[in-house]
Amino acid sequence: MTAPVARRGFSAESLGELIERRDEPEWMRERRRAAWQTYQDIPMPTQQDEEWRRTSLRRLKLDDVEPYSEGSYASHTGHAGKTLVPPAERDEVFGGFIGLRDAARVEYRLSDDLRAKGVIFTDLQTAVREHSDLVEKYFMTCCVPASDSKFAALHGAFWDNGVFLYVPRGVAVEEPLRAVTQANLQGRSSLAHTLIVLESDSQATFGEDFISSEGERQGFSSRVLEIILKPGAKLHYIGIQRWGRAVYDFHTERAVLERDTNVVLQSVELGSALSKGRVEARLEGDGANAKLLGLYIEDGDQHLDRYTLQDHIGAHGVSDLLFKGVLAGKARSVYSGLIRVHPKAKGTGAYQQNRNLLLSHHARADSIPNLEIAENDIIGCSHGATVGKVDEEQLFYLMCRGLTRLEATHLIVEGFVDPIVEVTPIASLRDSLRQEIQERVNTVQAED
Amino acid sequence: METTTATDPAETQTGAAQLIIRDLHARIEDKEILRGVNLTVSQGETHALMGPNGSGKSTLANVIMGHPRYEVTQGEVLFNGINLLDLSPDKRARLGVFLAFQYPSSVPGVTVANFLRRAVEARREGFDPNASGEPTGQAPKRKGMPPAEFRKLLTEKMKILKVDNTFITRYINEGFSGGEKKRAEILQMAMLEPRLAILDETDSGLDIDALRVVSDGVNALRGPNLGVLIITHYQRILNYITPDVVHVMSHGRIIKTGGPDFAMELEQKGYEWLLKEAGEEVPEEE
Repeated sequence: MTAPVARRGFSAESLGELIERRDEPEWMRERRRAAWQTYQDIPMPTQQDEEWRRTSLRRLKLDDVEPYSEGSYASHTGHAGKTLVPPAERDEVFGGFIGLRDAARVEYRLSDDLRAKGVIFTDLQTAVREHSDLVEKYFMTCCVPASDSKFAALHGAFWDNGVFLYVPRGVAVEEPLRAVTQANLQGRSSLAHTLIVLESDSQATFGEDFISSEGERQGFSSRVLEIILKPGAKLHYIGIQRWGRAVYDFHTERAVLERDTNVVLQSVELGSALSKGRVEARLEGDGANAKLLGLYIEDGDQHLDRYTLQDHIGAHGVSDLLFKGVLAGKARSVYSGLIRVHPKAKGTGAYQQNRNLLLSHHARADSIPNLEIAENDIIGCSHGATVGKVDEEQLFYLMCRGLTRLEATHLIVEGFVDPIVEVTPIASLRDSLRQEIQERVNTVQAED
Repeated sequence: METTTATDPAETQTGAAQLIIRDLHARIEDKEILRGVNLTVSQGETHALMGPNGSGKSTLANVIMGHPRYEVTQGEVLFNGINLLDLSPDKRARLGVFLAFQYPSSVPGVTVANFLRRAVEARREGFDPNASGEPTGQAPKRKGMPPAEFRKLLTEKMKILKVDNTFITRYINEGFSGGEKKRAEILQMAMLEPRLAILDETDSGLDIDALRVVSDGVNALRGPNLGVLIITHYQRILNYITPDVVHVMSHGRIIKTGGPDFAMELEQKGYEWLLKEAGEEVPEEE
């Protein structure tokens, strides 16, 4: 591998170098250039923009980060032999596993059975070469186009790698698929793309982690998750973000749901300095069903800004959203969610809840729910938001059984987050996530 | 009924654990609710505290446990010579004081089994008022209980309360019926092996079968090491758990104390005569 590029900042020049270094089909090169143009056309968001009103990009130093981190681990030969499978999950039987380190695929397995059934589960760089037609059809076209936002456009130009999952018609992938994206984000960037296409009546479970080490220097991440479910397809996705505390993370997660599809989209945010993202389900076909679950645990100076959209276009769709946040220290969260019921989306059921637990006087959570309903004939639409401290009666009850105030607080917090963690489809991942959250909560200093 | 809590100072300080309440006054905001309660409960004894609604019975239970909403303005609550009023509720609990709540809180997301394990570990750690420093409060630092031992203890106690395995995998009191809540309280009592158990209106909202199960549970736990204070509005539960002493409370004071037959008398005659009598006989200043 050639020496990593030391150029800083995202520019036409650095994009040119990236394109030069990649053996990509012309359509992708063209798409990168077009996305770059889009990026330049869209102004950098400011707090004058409604969606960015509560999130400042003042400290974001985009010009200081290296545009792609390829090969930065290459000299770290000590890492080469170590598996990226998390220790708690080593006994788990995965249908496939992808380990990405600084955008390079360092680990890869896919069961013979799934290969034989035509399942494609590989890193996106490989997919672009080996499954060019499929990727061309779905990559940033119908789900998250580059024009979606400033950072989606940047992503479209500079995406570095990611995961491509394609399940053919009628194939049920029984064993879970798993990926870990690890990146050195010390003054560097990660632009990981996850593209999931499930053909009619297929199903799969996929979990991925985003990990970087801690460090002082600012890192940058722009993630895009595209989920496209054809009629009758069923997916359970879980994504866990554990970037270091100096990382600015921007992401768009969107599921496009055709008729009679079923998605569980579970996103857990534990890391980063700032996390700004969208989580959306577009229920295009009739009878689509989406469960959107989010969890964020923030402390110190962490800032999280989440926008969710439950977009009901087809009839008889049901979407159920629950986002829960635990905030300590001086952490801040902003949640805004929209339920949009289009005309003719008869029989819609759309539910949205955002619950926040504050563990300190200085933590703050804002919750802004919104409804836009253009169809009268619906089953129900509701939203609810709470921001509150740990309940004194619950504390007293637990303390009456011998738990200290701190222990009681931790237990209440664990209980608060558990409904989100509980549904994790991979048992060992669920257990380790519980453990991790418990340890994280234990270090959080709750104030009276 | 011997407990295994080696760190329980109850054993070393006096022979029989004893609750002594002297001239206890407490208020909530500006309203005085307890107005000079005097009460002694010895180890091995079962006392019933009766009285009309609003007389201060539940307040007394909450003040003994240290509910933060109540302010104690006068008096003392001694447990084996230790003034409970100086201690946070968790320390009182680790000394062996237990309150079965009238309206126990639900704690969503926390299973009964998980909660019980932590509570038993805390109780076994105990609390030594003479030791310096605060308890660590850090779960990992506390001595864990071997899972097999915990499971065995729990299985044994679940049998007494006639609950099955699904019960302990549910979230604490979340969606529990009235009867299930009371069973859960007594199950906790059985697991924690307290020295003093206060049952606050444990009979309320129970049908006769549930009342029998709960009462059997309490009776199974009675013994020379346990003092019991049953707070009740009705005499009914006393048919199942026979008290040694019966007190009647009114307007924040205990106005009359008698033997087991006194409860029957109250059941027949009601409280009114007693209140009238008390109103005449008990002076405002004592």
